[in-house]
Amino acid sequence: MSDGKRESAARAADQGETAETAEEEGGPGPETSGAEASGKGATRTDATGPGTTGPEATGSPEAEPGEGGAEGSEGGAGDSGGGAAGGAEPAGKPEPARKPAPARRGRIAAAVGILGELLITAGLVLALFVVYSLWWTNVLADRQAEKRGDRVREHWAADRGPGDLDTRDGIGFLHVPSMSSDDILVMKGTDPKELNQGIAGYYTEPVKSALPQDQSGNFSLAAHRDGHGAKFHRIDKIDKGDPIVFETKNTWYVYKVFKTLPQTSKYNVDVLDPVPKGSGATKRGRYITLTTCTPVYTSKYRYIVWGELVRTEDVDEDRTPPAELR
Amino acid sequence: MYGWIWRHLPGNVWVRILISTVLVVGVVFLLFQYVFPWAEPMLPFNDVTVDGAAAPAAGTAPGGLV
Repeated sequence: MSDGKRESAARAADQGETAETAEEEGGPGPETSGAEASGKGATRTDATGPGTTGPEATGSPEAEPGEGGAEGSEGGAGDSGGGAAGGAEPAGKPEPARKPAPARRGRIAAAVGILGELLITAGLVLALFVVYSLWWTNVLADRQAEKRGDRVREHWAADRGPGDLDTRDGIGFLHVPSMSSDDILVMKGTDPKELNQGIAGYYTEPVKSALPQDQSGNFSLAAHRDGHGAKFHRIDKIDKGDPIVFETKNTWYVYKVFKTLPQTSKYNVDVLDPVPKGSGATKRGRYITLTTCTPVYTSKYRYIVWGELVRTEDVDEDRTPPAELR
Repeated sequence: MYGWIWRHLPGNVWVRILISTVLVVGVVFLLFQYVFPWAEPMLPFNDVTVDGAAAPAAGTAPGGLV
């Protein structure tokens, strides 16, 4: 119905200007027919009295002034044409009766429109946050981890630092073939700032981790499941019997997974004990524990994988990896 | 809101599109560089260690601190 009216108005009035007005109306938002109708009302009054364009426009609800202003600025020449057409326009009659209601509806429509735009914006920001946490943090973390890993290997190659105790840039690399083909740099501490750099960290609290070279104890590690490198993303692919190899400057430590715990409370710190509780181990030994969050994309529970040292191998000159990694 | 911004940008359609693109890229940059890194530790998505007390999101995690 309003379409038909608009068409007749277009025919009656100056072609160019009315078309533009119609576009303007359709452009900013198909918010409601109320906004459209009141917009039209404003246009019409403009047309009947070109001199009153300014005050009329500011008087009408928020969304409309722009339209009026745009019309005024764009159609300097068209204005007089519009005025002339307005005089001849047959649709001028029903206007006075309609005018008050659309003005109020227009204000509500404008408010609804702004609310809608804010909600759309919020949705876009949330979508961007997903992109950020699942993609961008990985890009950054992988870049940093690679840089740090290279530095550690350079140190090793240059034979600087006190051997296995060179912990400033990282103590070594974790290899878990069933989870990932990457080597994961391991550093001291599970501070989120460190873990965010695409590395794994060994616990210093609440239960202090042992180191691989210790004669007994639990070498306990944490790393991200999603985002920030997502080094333990595929921890669920590790099965009983799979090898975990830890590489230091001079030694390969080959562990074998003997137990996985797909879900436990995040307060279950006993999994880090020297003889980890829940793993089934009963006597002291040289264990390794991997912890991360589960299910994926959340931090509701923790996923635990335990392994026990099978053997160690000295690193040769070519750093030939042990059989498990070949 | 967006309509208002669009109407207040200078230039013709192409210039406006260019300016809009720059504005959008700027907003995304600010979000990625400052807003998201700030907000992330407060959200319970990336908490990988056992023991809530040592974890970054312990304060916001359901159940609170240990």
